[in-house]
Amino acid sequence: MSSARPLLLAALLVWTGDAFAQARSVATSDVFSRFADRVVKIQVVETGSAAKATIGSGFFVSERGHLVTNYHVISKLIHDPDRYRAELIDVGGTVEPVEVLGVDVVHDLAVLGSEVQPRAHFSLGAASVVQGNRLYSLGHPEDLGLSIVEGTYNGLLPHTRHPRIHLTGSLNPGMSGGPTISEDGRVIGINVATAGNQLSFLVPVDRAEALLGRVLTPGDQPPARTLEEVGRQLRDHQDAYLRDMFAGKTKMVDLGPYRLITEPAPFFRCWADATRGQELPYEKIRHHCSTDDYLFIAGDQSTGVVDVEHEMISTKRLNPSQFFSLYTSVFADDNTPSGREEHVTSWRCGTRNVRNASLPMRAVLCLRRYRKLGELYDGVLKVAVLGRDDSGVVSTLTMSGVTFENVDRLARRYLERISWR
Amino acid sequence: MAMILEIVHPGGARTWHRLGDVPVTMGRGFGNDLILDDPYVDARHARIALDESGAPVIEDLGSVNGLIADHARLSGRVALRPGTEIRIGRTMLRFRDSEDPVSPAIVDAVTAPAPPAPVVQPAAQLRRRARVRATIARSARTTWARLLTVAATVLAIALYSWLSNSERSGASEALDAALRFSALLAVWAGVWAVASRVSVQRFHFVAHMAVAAVVALGGLAWTMTAEWLSFFFPDASLSDALSVGIGLFMLAALVAGHLSLATGFSRARQWRTGFVVAGVALLIGGLVAITEEDAFTDVPTFSGVVKPVGSDWLPTATVEEFGSVMETLKEQVDEMAKQ
Repeated sequence: MSSARPLLLAALLVWTGDAFAQARSVATSDVFSRFADRVVKIQVVETGSAAKATIGSGFFVSERGHLVTNYHVISKLIHDPDRYRAELIDVGGTVEPVEVLGVDVVHDLAVLGSEVQPRAHFSLGAASVVQGNRLYSLGHPEDLGLSIVEGTYNGLLPHTRHPRIHLTGSLNPGMSGGPTISEDGRVIGINVATAGNQLSFLVPVDRAEALLGRVLTPGDQPPARTLEEVGRQLRDHQDAYLRDMFAGKTKMVDLGPYRLITEPAPFFRCWADATRGQELPYEKIRHHCSTDDYLFIAGDQSTGVVDVEHEMISTKRLNPSQFFSLYTSVFADDNTPSGREEHVTSWRCGTRNVRNASLPMRAVLCLRRYRKLGELYDGVLKVAVLGRDDSGVVSTLTMSGVTFENVDRLARRYLERISWR
Repeated sequence: MAMILEIVHPGGARTWHRLGDVPVTMGRGFGNDLILDDPYVDARHARIALDESGAPVIEDLGSVNGLIADHARLSGRVALRPGTEIRIGRTMLRFRDSEDPVSPAIVDAVTAPAPPAPVVQPAAQLRRRARVRATIARSARTTWARLLTVAATVLAIALYSWLSNSERSGASEALDAALRFSALLAVWAGVWAVASRVSVQRFHFVAHMAVAAVVALGGLAWTMTAEWLSFFFPDASLSDALSVGIGLFMLAALVAGHLSLATGFSRARQWRTGFVVAGVALLIGGLVAITEEDAFTDVPTFSGVVKPVGSDWLPTATVEEFGSVMETLKEQVDEMAKQ
């Protein structure tokens, strides 16, 4: 008898699971049939060759044919309006041209206008949803046709400056810009990104509502539509983000004999990991702080604005010459963000031996500029503390998509803050 | 009086021949009276004969490279007198009088009984004898010195490798570096030795190794100096300029050194050739560097050298001064963004 119980339990589980699945699939197909016609495919086409450059999804938000999608779906149009045009393809396969009416690069949103008068549209507005609620994402994954994906609402990401919804469900490329809705058709968020393994992210709907509001009634703050205005949004964003970073009370961490900056802001996460082993005559401790905030800048260039990394190495077995050879190779390691020629210049670097109030160090600053976004730069400050011959720390501050004033300001504060424990 | 022909073969070996029965033919072919092992000499190159008045003359037998005296090609018959020097191919012909004095034999301390002390030895003879003795001793010493140079260089390479290794297997890596360098050196010297054998009939293998080792040692010394320079003065372009100059000199020295062993070039010509080769190599390198500088890259280049010096006397900038470095960088990238 005792051996039958688990079997019974298993059978029961299979049975109930099956019943849930069936109930769910009824709901899913119902959601799909009710709301599919409000979702379209958005494609950006190269005017010369008539070839698709990017595809994504979008959805109607007014009876006058306004649509919401992601900024990154139509960014090529902003960067090169003469070379590209955008169009929507509805459920019936009808192709209609669309134009960009406003973008919010910080939240990765865009509102488009079209001549289409949709039979139905989503209304944007506050929707109450709690962790565990079932949601439905609509979009065109990999250009395979309109699809529906089930997912679970898991609240807002804790480590971002700008709100992002965490959805457990499989969003795939091409679904960007599509809506994620509740069973009764209220938009909860806009599909924006995935980290794989069912980890997906949405922009909360209130951001889209705000952008749509600015498009419909511009007032004194008309939404950005040109590259110049996108650049201004990025500059305003990073300025608010960085102006006071490392300025007042700043969290510090002690690594060996060194005191270093950590957790630049509450929405940062810091990780530490040590490498040591019998086969290595030294040990390395890595401390890394970053945020889940990222900004789509251009092309495949998306960035968190600031990133802090410390690598402390120490040894009892290497002589000074051997240790400094290791230290040099850690210092010379390239961990700068990648980039493409159409978006950024090459790096230019300057090296100095610098002494702050408490210690001497080797400091390198590498700088490059964005070609089209006005006064925006990437800056990487690397520091190797000098003065000991059995330990050292290489500390890197990476700033991307920031103004030179902020590179300058943050680099100085960073250099001043490093000290002995 | 008979005429003596002294032949200085390529590579420096000498032979002497009494010119008794004339005519005497010379060339690389085995049918000649004097057979010359010189690739620049024709099979039948020249002939020594008597002219109508019975005086000795040399004449070209229609050879490719002819008879050369004072860097000029001679034509027709050339009269021979004691002291006449004529080059054919890479072989020097020197005509001497059979009455010319030669230096007395060197006393062999091992086998010869003590010779009666010469009553008077002319000062010139003494000097000459001392010179010959010195030459023999020098030649032995030179070979030892060359081998020592090679050994010192290999040791230096191993030491450098050990000092710049931070893995546990430091000693084996150092050994590996030493072996690799030795193998490279041997191959390099081997190639030059073969070239020498072809052109001057001598291998000079050890000497070629020593030349390459000395230059490698110089290169190593400069690499270490440059690291320290760039650590102390990271902003100075001085070490870049110095590197170019020193690189040029060392490459020229390498080529000149090998040429001195593998050819009969004059010293000036060895260095001239060396600098031309080094100049061309550097020019090509420079052109490549210039095109790469203009090419886009998302990998930064900077002087990442750190050294175990953090004392008060280390020249440092203030954070404020570092700000001006950033300003300069901004100007550079702003300029690039405009293009």
